[in-house]
Order: sequence, then C-alpha cells, then structure tokens
Amino acid sequence: MLVIRRHPGETILIGGEIELEVIECGHNRVKLGIRAPQHIPVMRGEVMLTRDQNISAAQSMAGGAIPAVLGRPAPGGAVVPLLGETPGKRTA
Amino acid sequence: MTYQTAHLGPITVDESSTIEFPEGLPGFEECRRFVPLQHPEYAGLVFLQSLERAELCFLALPVRAVRADYSLALSADDTVLLGFPEDYRPALGSDVLALAILSLEEGRMPTANLLAPVVIHCLARRAVQAIRPDRRYGCRERVEVQEAVCS
Repeated sequence: MLVIRRHPGETILIGGEIELEVIECGHNRVKLGIRAPQHIPVMRGEVMLTRDQNISAAQSMAGGAIPAVLGRPAPGGAVVPLLGETPGKRTA
Repeated sequence: MTYQTAHLGPITVDESSTIEFPEGLPGFEECRRFVPLQHPEYAGLVFLQSLERAELCFLALPVRAVRADYSLALSADDTVLLGFPEDYRPALGSDVLALAILSLEEGRMPTANLLAPVVIHCLARRAVQAIRPDRRYGCRERVEVQEAVCS
C-alpha cells in the first residue's frame, strides 16, 4: 500500500481523474473531499461491505434459503405485519 | 392493497404496516418501500418484503434475538433520516426496532449483519440500514437461526 503524508488543504491525484483533498484533521477522524467523474462510484468502505452482504442475502433467498435453513418450505399466505393497526407480536 | 411476492405468495398489506427507506438499502438504493412481516410458525423471524420488487425479500431477526446484549449505535445522519432530532438517542424496543439481515448460504453457517441493522422508527414508519459508527459488531456474525426462531 502506498502511504503518503499530507497536510490539510493538500491533495492527491489518482489516475488523473480523481482528486482527493484532506480538508480537516481532527483528533481521531479526517475529513476528506473527493472529486471524481460521475461513472466512478465513491462510497465508504463499510457501505461497500453492507452492499455486498445485502446482495448475497437477497440471492440466498432466491436460491431457496428458507427450506435449507428452517427445514420447511416458505410459509404461504398467513403472514402478519410487524407494524400497523393489526400488529403481529412485536419483538425488539 | 394486495401485492404479488415471489416467496410469500400474494400478500394483503395495509399502508400502516409499510415502512419507507428514504435512501433505500446499499445495493438496492431504488427500493424504498418494504413491509416487515411475521409468520406464526416462525415466531421471531421477520420477512422484509419489498413492495416494488416481488422477488426481493430479506430474512431478518431482531438484533437482540441474535445478541441479547446488543446496544444500538446510530450516527447523527441516520438519527435525522429516521426523523429524530440529531442529538436524540432512540430507545431500542420503544422508539425503534432493529433487525439484523440474515445471510443463508447453503453449506455455510447462517450469519447476521450486526454492523448494519435495519432500524425502523415505528411511529414514523421510516427506516434506514444504519451502519454503526463503531466496529463493535461485524457484518457476518454467526447466528443459530433454529434457536432464535421458536417454531
């Protein structure tokens, strides 16, 4: 990994199209500004993790996760809403 | 209103049972409206069904069914998105519900995403998938689904 020391106000260029600016350095966090073309998605690392996790969770449902895990097929019809006027048993 | 779903068949949903994610969920940003459902035979398990995509349904468990001592950590941004004042600390169970999305891959232990629970402001029916500002829990925490779901 390339490690570069920068002061607030200084920038780093990646591939000529992406500019990273150190805006502010706090006690235990850094504020960064990112300038990138529209087609390059910019997201926090943990959002990426959660995104991948959501996609795999949705795919596992499509692949028949309910019978695989619960040993029974998906329930039909008799579902009860968790919220609303006729709430199901509320659990936190 | 009745919706067709891929996993639960046709479901009739009252507006008061639906929730809205103002920013969608990471990976599914275009999906804003969901309905959390339970089934009497799977007490505890929550089916988070999209009202915009029939095939999109997440399985989830309340965070405290996964870790009994789970405590919520919400960023100021997520607190505001849920419709609370920035410095308010919503109480789990009364102000908000928190659900951990399950990943169930065949041949692997089920895991729950405790890093980013779906937090629902019950009265406002607004929800966010709130990524914890701390690193206390991971996004693939092992869970005993059979034990958590009392059937």
